Amino acid sequence: MIMKRLIRSELRKLTTTRMPWAFLAVLVVLAGINAFAVIAGTDFDGSKAFIATEFDQQSLMAFAANALAIAGLFGAIAAAREYGHHTVVPTFLASPRRSRAVVAQLSAIGLGGGVLGLVGAALTVVAVALALPATDFGFMVSVGNVTQILAASAFAGAAGAVLGAGIGLLVRNVGGTVTGAVLVLFIAPPLIAQLATETASWMPSVLATVLTGVGNEVSKPAALVALCVWAVVPAIAGLLAVNRRDVV
Amino acid sequence: MTSATGSHPIVIEHLTKRYGENTVVDDLSFTVQPGRVTGFLGPNGSGKSTTMKMMLGLASADRGRVTVSGRNYRDLDNPAHTVGAMIESDAFHPGRSGRNHLRILADATGIPQRRVAEVLGEVGLSHAADRQVGAYSLGMRQRLGLAAALLGEPPVLILDEPGNGLDPEGIRTLRDRLRAQSGRGGTVLVSSHLLAEVEHLADDVVVINEGRIVAQGPLAELQQAATLVRTDNRDRLCRVLEDAGATIEHHDSDGVVVRDIQIDEIGEQAFAAGIVLHELSPQAGSLEELFLNWTNTRIGQEVDAS
Repeated sequence: MIMKRLIRSELRKLTTTRMPWAFLAVLVVLAGINAFAVIAGTDFDGSKAFIATEFDQQSLMAFAANALAIAGLFGAIAAAREYGHHTVVPTFLASPRRSRAVVAQLSAIGLGGGVLGLVGAALTVVAVALALPATDFGFMVSVGNVTQILAASAFAGAAGAVLGAGIGLLVRNVGGTVTGAVLVLFIAPPLIAQLATETASWMPSVLATVLTGVGNEVSKPAALVALCVWAVVPAIAGLLAVNRRDVV
Repeated sequence: MTSATGSHPIVIEHLTKRYGENTVVDDLSFTVQPGRVTGFLGPNGSGKSTTMKMMLGLASADRGRVTVSGRNYRDLDNPAHTVGAMIESDAFHPGRSGRNHLRILADATGIPQRRVAEVLGEVGLSHAADRQVGAYSLGMRQRLGLAAALLGEPPVLILDEPGNGLDPEGIRTLRDRLRAQSGRGGTVLVSSHLLAEVEHLADDVVVINEGRIVAQGPLAELQQAATLVRTDNRDRLCRVLEDAGATIEHHDSDGVVVRDIQIDEIGEQAFAAGIVLHELSPQAGSLEELFLNWTNTRIGQEVDAS
């Protein structure tokens, strides 16, 4: 009952500022870029080979890696701004057992990230579907594969948001948190993969691609579990830090 | 302030907080009584806000404890229904409306949403409820902070600088609200740098300086705790009384204000020393004078709730 109240409160926090609309705008722009690419883009040889098969189209619409990154930034900002604006003070006054408040926050942010991932994927699918009639190719992706793209994007969005929120709980400063999220999601993975090539398959964006069905570096269950680990580790670290620190 | 008389006293026992080598709150013990308004005063950096944060579980104590109604704040079943707190003057998202800020708190605490409109009316903020907080004046933010504290209709209020930025009407409304709260048996602890306002509002005061209590008790008694003495033999009288433990301030050419010993003891000490007194009378001091004396604050030095 208490958790339900706290999650409702956290969801209202997320939906009563302009931040979700800004992220939605980014998703619309990305979908528009995909549509433009379908209509105007070509391969090196001038052909439209990149949309010629079901797999090609599914690859184009595989939004999960984008969902992971975008929701990661969403989660990072959503968590860190609580400290920047001191709104964490009334939160912890209402719920002095901080673990509950943080778990509720992570749940709401995870849900928000999942919705962003789902909406982003849906917009991309719709944009590509609307753009394809302007080419010589029809929409080839099966309902099952579209469902897989949507589900994978929602899951990757949720995981990315929780990962970002964990960084936000640790860093607390919005600028520092965004920098940290960019580091973890964009900069560190290729560097780590270069240093230890066997880790490349376990980087978040690769795991997200596996979930959409266009990558096979690891099995899907393994990708699911590994992505959860990527999300949960910083979240637990953040939770422990919040419980230990004074709110100043 | 010796014993709890109601159901919701705030009891602070040996509260201590250190940041590294620096002890910011040093063995504080006092009780905030139900049915009374207690002013919590001290100069900049004296440890008032840190003490309030420890009361509310926002900061951990290195030693000692604070209880409300006999329980740690973190152990209260639904704290918003017991304690209303205003601890950060600007704990709002600037892009969120005042109404939504309160709706979020109502959600978290299980308070019915209709209470949001009521409390906005109580603090005179209904007209701006749907405006973004970023467009609020300081006084409007203070009203919103007060609304958040009052949302759960709690019997205990812990307010850090609630009068900051309020216009005279707002201050009067706040004073009436807090007096009414204590009149109903509620417990009210208010820190403020508006000493004149505290003088009008507070029944009791707790004054801290460098993390330690320097004065506490009913304000009226503290204000009467000085004695004006006139004599032709002032220097000798000062030596005698200081040897007896008195604190002495020079009043005018032949008068001194004596604190820390009782009026009858002053008379006895003077009689024993063979000093003729021309006047021996209770001296009522303003809170500002007392505050400066208690904290050794220089005139012009900023006094606020830090």
